[in-house]
Amino acid sequence: MSGRWQWFHRLGSPKWFYEKTTRWLPWLVGAMALFLAVGIVWALLFLPPDYQQGHTSRILVVHVAVAGTSLSFFPLMAVAGTVTLVWRIKLADMVAKNAAPLGAWFTFLTLATGSIWGSVSWGTWWEWTDSRLVSMLFQLFLLLGVISLRTAIENAETAARACALLSIVGCINVVIIKYSVDWWNTLHQPSSPISMEVGSPNGPEFWVATAVMIVAVYLFLAVSLILTTRNEILQREDKAQWVRELVAQAR
Amino acid sequence: MNRAGAGAAFRATLKRDLLISVKRRNDILNPFMFFVIVVSLFPIGISPESAMLRQIAAGVIWIAVLLASMLSMDSLYRSDYEDGSLEQLLLSSQPLYLLVFAKNIAHWLVSGLPVILVSPLLAYMLALPAEGYVTLVLSLLLGTPVVGMLGSIAVALTVGLGSRGLILAVITVPMSVPVLIFGTLAVQNSLAGGSPLGYLALLGAMLAAAVSLAPVATAAALRISLN
Repeated sequence: MSGRWQWFHRLGSPKWFYEKTTRWLPWLVGAMALFLAVGIVWALLFLPPDYQQGHTSRILVVHVAVAGTSLSFFPLMAVAGTVTLVWRIKLADMVAKNAAPLGAWFTFLTLATGSIWGSVSWGTWWEWTDSRLVSMLFQLFLLLGVISLRTAIENAETAARACALLSIVGCINVVIIKYSVDWWNTLHQPSSPISMEVGSPNGPEFWVATAVMIVAVYLFLAVSLILTTRNEILQREDKAQWVRELVAQAR
Repeated sequence: MNRAGAGAAFRATLKRDLLISVKRRNDILNPFMFFVIVVSLFPIGISPESAMLRQIAAGVIWIAVLLASMLSMDSLYRSDYEDGSLEQLLLSSQPLYLLVFAKNIAHWLVSGLPVILVSPLLAYMLALPAEGYVTLVLSLLLGTPVVGMLGSIAVALTVGLGSRGLILAVITVPMSVPVLIFGTLAVQNSLAGGSPLGYLALLGAMLAAAVSLAPVATAAALRISLN
């Protein structure tokens, strides 16, 4: 093996990943807690109520952050899937396997927070004419499809490669669905341009809070993904020497 | 030699699949009957008023076509998988893309085309106005092969599973949404007096993309399923 690719294969070693993340996790969790605390306290206590939407605008800080993050799942799974299919690196599949339920959960949270916000601002919990709601719903369906394919195939190796292929196809499809649903008339707020002026509709007090929340949610995603992947490693590599030693130590 | 071989293999696969379908009429007839029955449920379930029916006619037919193709899809690779001829296809020296494509065409000819041929009659029963028929048939002609080829990927991924009837639909139906959107928008647009050409062109673009990419994915999926 040429030296240039060694780092890549080391990255794919479950043991290497497990040891590295043991060191990273405290920092990641700390940063996540910090950003979450700042974002939530800011949004709930200090953000001035919107002149039109009142206090309901606070939920947008969470909604925008979760929505943005949930869009990253299919690209993430497609990249992991490509690595699984081309290099057959087991770690990529462990990440992809746990990304699917997390992605479904984030997508559901996006729909739920959007729907709660919409019930006050639009006066309706669900609105088919809004293209973003509808394409999110279909992203949820596609993710559930990937999950059910994973559970349906018993052989882990086959399931990994089948889900990898479906994630790649699904990733392309999500984009097509998004643009085709956009052809409908839309009620959704177009993204408001960022403004530097305090007190304007999307002034710094709002978008900085949202930016803090986006970082917080991405950190939350990273931490959850790492934790579930570590579990997966312990389960799948339970015959390996280092896992046995780890388990013996823990006892 | 190999060139001619690829063409011959394509034709042989096409002919073989068509012959098998003719001999197993139930596999074709049941989804077809399902399509007709589902369409005739809508006037009963929603409203027999023609004013209401004409608004939903195109959508009802498109949705029924989608559901019926989910049913017929199941037989696409199953019997080949069970009798081992699918493995022979994978082992053959001919490009798997062409063989998969031939199977898709054969399947569309026996399951998609009959449904499209009967759709004007059902559209008439749903009181679709006269301006809609040509567009409906054209949109179905362009759209159903896309659905079939998307479904073919899902069938290939699940071919080794015991019970897979529903997982196939769960995977394929959400992926077919763009086809449904543009198919119904095309008909609605021509009912409103506009030109449906833009939407039909989009369906055509999807068909071109599906023809060039979907058999590649299906071939990869078959290799995964059969290891």
